[in-house]
Amino acid sequence: MFYLFMLPGLVWFFLFSYVPLYGIQVAFRDFQFSGGFSGSPWAGLKYFHQFFDYYQSSRLIRNTILISALKLLIGFMMPIILAVLLNEVRNVKFKKTVQTLSYLPYFVSWVVVVTLMQRLLAQYGGPVNNLLESIGMVKDPIQFLNNTSWFYQMILGSDIWKNIGWNSIIYIAAIAGIDQQQYEAAKIDGAGRFKQIWHVTLPGIRNIAVILFILATGSLMSAGYEQLLLLSGPATASIDSVLDVHVINAGLNEGRLSYAAAVGLFQSVIALVLILTVNRVARKVSDVSLF
Amino acid sequence: MKKRRFSPFDILNYLILALLGFSMIYPFIYILVYSFNDGKDSMLGALYFYPRKFTFDNYAQVFDNPKIWQAYKITLFRTVLGTFLSVFLSTLMAYALSKKSLPGRTFFTFYIFLPTIFSAGFIPYFITLQKLHLINTFWVFVIPALFSFLHIVIIRTFLQGIPEELEESARIDGYGDFQIFARIILPLSGPVLATISLFVGVAHWNDWFTGAYYVSDKNLIPVQTLLQQMLTEAEALSNSMQQASQNGGQTINANVAGSTPESLRMALLVIAVFPILCVYPFLQRFFVKGTMIGSVKG
Repeated sequence: MFYLFMLPGLVWFFLFSYVPLYGIQVAFRDFQFSGGFSGSPWAGLKYFHQFFDYYQSSRLIRNTILISALKLLIGFMMPIILAVLLNEVRNVKFKKTVQTLSYLPYFVSWVVVVTLMQRLLAQYGGPVNNLLESIGMVKDPIQFLNNTSWFYQMILGSDIWKNIGWNSIIYIAAIAGIDQQQYEAAKIDGAGRFKQIWHVTLPGIRNIAVILFILATGSLMSAGYEQLLLLSGPATASIDSVLDVHVINAGLNEGRLSYAAAVGLFQSVIALVLILTVNRVARKVSDVSLF
Repeated sequence: MKKRRFSPFDILNYLILALLGFSMIYPFIYILVYSFNDGKDSMLGALYFYPRKFTFDNYAQVFDNPKIWQAYKITLFRTVLGTFLSVFLSTLMAYALSKKSLPGRTFFTFYIFLPTIFSAGFIPYFITLQKLHLINTFWVFVIPALFSFLHIVIIRTFLQGIPEELEESARIDGYGDFQIFARIILPLSGPVLATISLFVGVAHWNDWFTGAYYVSDKNLIPVQTLLQQMLTEAEALSNSMQQASQNGGQTINANVAGSTPESLRMALLVIAVFPILCVYPFLQRFFVKGTMIGSVKG
């Protein structure tokens, strides 16, 4: 009977996870729709060559790694900082309100976030520029969007804005689990606020941070296709083109399925290697690992 | 504990957090204001915290538009049906996997875990959807989103906390496996089901990608995809307006009232965002627990 309970799930994972895995072979074939996964003629490494010979391939890889590394390094620290700051707040009502508000952007789609950015950061009449101008921080309104010199800040900023609250949940919970006696002991030893944070709070969330970091490295080769599909445009093309978007454009828009599958496979393999490497390093260095 | 003095650090901390909280809520206040303000009047700008010329016009027009109604219906329908099916089937599977005595349990867990660390990528997935004849049907919104490893693990961990004795006594009363599941397990799983429903529901509600790439039938476009299309249009529009204003054209007559494409878009944005924003604070205590289980076990 229990096997019957699992049956829909097992069939689903077979169809939507394992059949596509079998379909990876289209990267090595000249895919024709009539032939299906295994019926099209072999092409060997033709499409991999095509990608690495493409004059923009190194730029694509560079942009992808740069954007996701920025998100990984800065975007990863922000929720920890937020959790630590919230922990220092004594007023429960204030703390709860900030927490609830900080989850809010997580629940809206990237389409909404980008629409909001378009309105609030508009060069002419956008409230952010109006504010900056009225307090005299800028002379001329800043063109935040579709501008290469602001592009990475926008990508990173919107990513942090959307996810900081949500990602801090786990750290807040971990901090709540720290034994209060440790703080008392630190106080008796004469530790001030910052010493307490450094010696008690941060070590208390170290393990969970390592695990989340391992998980995050797996996505180093994917820079977040939803956000980038929506925020990239011709004006920033030289620095916004990343692998995920390239796969979608080449495959779904131009119909070069085998080529796009080859690029996608390259991406998946690197991601797997990365996650296994970081997992091993983490196990050696700190005894914490995912598997 | 003694009441502590407010140190400079505290003041700075409260200030930073207050600013952060404000930055999270303000964009939504902003669209709310514009959605309730007369469209032509909005073009004068300088609207920040409350509408200047209050009107329901924008909403009336949005709800009058058959295209938007159709999109809203698709979104509502896929969210309700998709969430119900997903939560029900995932719980069934998680229940089976929570049975420690089930032969092959480790294998089945690995079977559903493997795809999370190595995925085939977009293209083989897309071809699979095509081969299954899901492309350009309503079901492409529902079926591919049915299961997720993380959700199954979260539910499984919760179910393992339900005492075995309850099931045993029910079995003595002559309940079958499915009856136990439906009458004992499901009613006891409220918190975790609420969490997963929220996760799945939000994902359905917010998904624009499926509608943009896997569907071409105009009648199957959900609200988020509609907003995405408007995003591109608005960009083109603002570019041309900017050019026009640079050429010295464009004067805005403030005495004319009425909706503009932008004010309609703000109203649409509000109805696309607020249902979720009204629900999530009430589920907060549940999903905070849910994410913890997920990240610890995942």
